[in-house]
Amino acid sequence: MSNRSYIEVENISKIYPGADIFAVKDLSLSIDKGEIYGLLGPNGAGKTTTISILCSLLAQTTGNVYIDSTDLYANVNKIRKIIGVVPQDIALYPKLTAKENLMFFGNMYGIKGSLLKNKIHYYLEYFGLINKINKRIDTFSGGMKRRVNLIASILHKPEILFLDEPTVGIDVQSRNVIIEFLHELNKKGTTIVYTSHHMEEAQNLCSKIGIIDKGDIIAEGSPDQLLKKNCNCKNLEDVFLHLTGRQLRD
Amino acid sequence: MILKFFASVRKEAILMLRDKAGLAILFVMPMALILIMTLLQDNTFKALEENKIEILLVNKDSGTLGKAIHKGLTEADFFQITDKLEDDTLTEKSAYKKVASGAYQMAIVIPEGATDYIQQVVTHKINTQLPGLQEPVEEDTKIDLTKGVNVKIFFDPVTKNSFKQSVHSALKEFTSKIEAEMAFNIYGKLFKDMFEIEVQQPESFSSIITFTEEYATNLNSKIIPNSVQHNVPAWTLFAMFFIVIPLAGNIIKERESGNVLRLKTMPGSYTAVLLGKLSIYLIICIIQAALMIAIGVYILPLFGLPSLMLGTNLFALFIIVLAAALAATGFGVAIGSIATSHDQASIFGAVSTVILAALGGIWVPVFIMPEVMQQISILSPLNWALNGFYDIFLRDSGTLDIMPYVIKLMIFCIVSIGVSYFYNKFNRSIS
Repeated sequence: MSNRSYIEVENISKIYPGADIFAVKDLSLSIDKGEIYGLLGPNGAGKTTTISILCSLLAQTTGNVYIDSTDLYANVNKIRKIIGVVPQDIALYPKLTAKENLMFFGNMYGIKGSLLKNKIHYYLEYFGLINKINKRIDTFSGGMKRRVNLIASILHKPEILFLDEPTVGIDVQSRNVIIEFLHELNKKGTTIVYTSHHMEEAQNLCSKIGIIDKGDIIAEGSPDQLLKKNCNCKNLEDVFLHLTGRQLRD
Repeated sequence: MILKFFASVRKEAILMLRDKAGLAILFVMPMALILIMTLLQDNTFKALEENKIEILLVNKDSGTLGKAIHKGLTEADFFQITDKLEDDTLTEKSAYKKVASGAYQMAIVIPEGATDYIQQVVTHKINTQLPGLQEPVEEDTKIDLTKGVNVKIFFDPVTKNSFKQSVHSALKEFTSKIEAEMAFNIYGKLFKDMFEIEVQQPESFSSIITFTEEYATNLNSKIIPNSVQHNVPAWTLFAMFFIVIPLAGNIIKERESGNVLRLKTMPGSYTAVLLGKLSIYLIICIIQAALMIAIGVYILPLFGLPSLMLGTNLFALFIIVLAAALAATGFGVAIGSIATSHDQASIFGAVSTVILAALGGIWVPVFIMPEVMQQISILSPLNWALNGFYDIFLRDSGTLDIMPYVIKLMIFCIVSIGVSYFYNKFNRSIS
């Protein structure tokens, strides 16, 4: 039990009801505490399904997931207290203001009163949104929404943060501030599991990368290790194309 | 759990207050609906109750029968008698043509000599009954007893059977009265001749048996049902059940936006969030009902309609409103959970509410539905709630009396939420 990594995924498979093929098949991975793990893969590879299983939204059909040596499935509530999830969609209420949204999600994590207000002010200040604190989310740009989307998941100071394509469709400045924040968060001890289609971003951010295709991890290691294993490749994108192929995935 | 619940209530309240169009649909439209439908149906009731049947009367009889029929029909509240046309050409033939053309709903033709004939028949019958008399009471002329007095009635083909029946009944009453009066006169004369006793004719042959109408209610309440008493609770329930559309839409929107996923990754049960949402919609339903009832009591009388009489058990009224609100919100949760899109929920929610309302007697009262539909109507939760309202408003029933309806509504709510729970459970492995 003590040999397990902080996040240990053992041979998980997932087949959706009515589906013919496995979304994830016999997938295993391990993530150490304090790591930034990038889960990269083409569309339909199984990234979101894997992240959904890891953050307790979906139950795997077979296999086991351990977080901090605790069986996820058997201890859902315990695990949920230490994880934060940044969904791929902007999971905010458009008609509520930034403050109202964050107050609501903070309350959902059990935080209240001045502690919550201080946290909200701190993060909005950090992400350059303090002057928009009382503006409704539906008046925000895509980048601003992404930043609030991230804040809503970290109010309770999670030990593990799952991010499903957190920088998709936003401007360079917003992406930059998010990536810098994730670095900072990681330095403070937060383990980060992250999916993205931005190879350069992943190469710069992640300490370990798993490339997933057809529901299984086909390569894993640090960005440097992956480049070394595939010596003709100049960057992570080349590695990715080399391993997953150049045919279109829809 | 409590923090989650109140946070959810606060969030839903803010969202609701910021949705002006949604609020208009939830409050203004039902109010307009109640006003319009009550006015419309009240006029329909008035048309049935107050419009008089126009009758052409061709009275060829110069005796008491013709006069009695004329007087009786004129004095009756529901007939408008015309016995003279402008061109003074009212005959049996012209009356027939007028009715055939649709100008009048019916015409009555009293034949010539009707009174004389009845007089002769009555005399003949008395003479037959008293064969021992030395002299007949009056000269018993040879009459054809099989002929009878043939009062003709011409009906417009569109005349309702109930109207025909009314005229038939009225005419039978008048002729019976005339026959009785004639018999009394003859017997009076007979007594005077035989015993030299002066028999005083009564002033009136009005019925000895009288009929009074009163609606049966409990206690001392004497509330008379009217279109307001039906329409206000009926359309209030319709509006309350229409909450399934915004509620189901809200659930689907929250699911589609990813908020539900985020909430489900948080510690504690999602139930607290859902209960908070339900509480707001429940409160809205209760406010809706209070507003609609207030309209029935205070606003409808301003339009010349009767005021809504609430009965004497306001606690029972609150209980049935609460039960109906729970049933409506439970139904909304079920639709929101099962429907896969906002459009699907809107269409299914609207159509199912309309069907349940139609079956439940919201549009057409159950008692005038065909027998089969009356049996089916008892399956509609709107029917249960409406019957609860009727019991409180019209029969002055208390909380215990309406419990069968309240229990049915609660079961409907529990089943709806149960369906939603198990549907979600089987579609999501961890929750």
